[in-house]
Amino acid sequence: MTSSRDASAPRLPDTAFAMPLVSPSYPRGPYRYTNREHMIVTYRTDPAAIEQAVPEPLVADQPLVRLEFMRMDASTGFGRYSGAAQHIPVQLNGLQGAYTHNMFLDVHAPISGGRELWGFPQKLASPCLKVAHDTLLGTLDYGPERVARATMGYKHRAIDEGSALAMLGEPGFLLKIIPHVDGTPRVCELVQYYRRDIVLKGAWTGPASLDLQPHALAPLADLPVLEVVSSVHLIADFTLELGVVVHDYLA
Amino acid sequence: MKAADIRAHAFSMPLHSPSYPPGPYRFMDREYLIITYRTDPEALKRVVPAPLECDAPIVKYEFIRMPDSTGFGDYTESGQVIPVSFKGQQGGYVHAMFLDDDPPIAGGRELWGFPKKLATPTLITAHDTLLGTLDYGPVRIATGSMGYKHQALDSAKALAALGEPGFLLKIIPHVDGTPRICELVRYYLSDVTLKGAWSGPAALELHPHALAPVADLPVLEILSAVHLVADLTLNLGEVVHDYLAK
Repeated sequence: MTSSRDASAPRLPDTAFAMPLVSPSYPRGPYRYTNREHMIVTYRTDPAAIEQAVPEPLVADQPLVRLEFMRMDASTGFGRYSGAAQHIPVQLNGLQGAYTHNMFLDVHAPISGGRELWGFPQKLASPCLKVAHDTLLGTLDYGPERVARATMGYKHRAIDEGSALAMLGEPGFLLKIIPHVDGTPRVCELVQYYRRDIVLKGAWTGPASLDLQPHALAPLADLPVLEVVSSVHLIADFTLELGVVVHDYLA
Repeated sequence: MKAADIRAHAFSMPLHSPSYPPGPYRFMDREYLIITYRTDPEALKRVVPAPLECDAPIVKYEFIRMPDSTGFGDYTESGQVIPVSFKGQQGGYVHAMFLDDDPPIAGGRELWGFPKKLATPTLITAHDTLLGTLDYGPVRIATGSMGYKHQALDSAKALAALGEPGFLLKIIPHVDGTPRICELVRYYLSDVTLKGAWSGPAALELHPHALAPVADLPVLEILSAVHLVADLTLNLGEVVHDYLAK
């Protein structure tokens, strides 16, 4: 990688992985999470909004959305951070999974790695998941504005481990889009990924509520809350695997 | 959403609310503090990718205020640019950049290949001093200072510097972690309206950090400093070398 008079076919070292070359924004995996905590509130929304949001060939059978708040206390390479996301339960050729529609994190390494490796639609914001006395409380601020809040009774009832493991074992689906340097689409792919080596440390349910506020750049409220359907609070260790392309929109 | 609509609207993630809009990217009253210094030639050799060439062991340390930019908003940036030549053409290779705003970080990385990370840069006037600072998390890693508007600079020289191309190493992995995009990109600024250019005494101090290694290009001697205010458009780029081409 020294500058060279021979410009015939310059190569980069095999270590080339991410920008900047000499100090990548995110390291190579595996990406292992320990004591990752999730609050997931499932709600019913407007079927027309779901139809507009879900990219084919994914199919949503029901107008449901999972609003999720996450605490990642110890993650290899990405550090300690928090997240909030909207996932839509979908099927791909009969395989049940969840499509990530919006996602917000408070640390840059997993944002740049999430976008550039997998295609997670991540933006920088201020999500928070904490215990406030008797309440498990999730909040999301975009800049100075509160755009989402979820509450749940803290560990009211343990739930069946099998159903919690089934949810974590489902594939995730992402729409990875990267432009070319001239602004035309360079990458436009449907990506599928899995969580592996899952160790469930606890799963609970309880009463839950949701409140979404409109924002021009954080449009969670475009999938309106019509009815809260269920809630789950999970603590688990797992590895976030790299993905595979299951559909190429530019092919 | 239909596949044809996805193709038609695909620009950036998320599809329905992209992190950054399409350009043009116009900056009004963009303010630069640029401190040019001499560094270790061996350190420079380790970081400049061929086919770019370095003629002299020089680095430009920049602090930039962007109070009004279309689509990106109001933000600040700090980083290192290395004077290089590409097939005889003079320009600046952008080695490291740190910003406080997500859309220009995501857009900068994904469109052009700017090597941007999130941090906390500032550029302020502190009484008699033009002062730039860069913190990564809670740690100060760069401080630049300059006497405020001591001598006006020849505007033709300042315009010539802004007219040179920038060079970037755009690297995006595939979903399996293998290299997908690995390109040398060239871009230009256009429609530049210079509103002022000054020089003055300057100082620069860099501190080591594992994830923001600005001090890996050590400051051996301050050569010059300029303070510029300009309106300009940041153009999209072109690929001048593809490292993955067979």
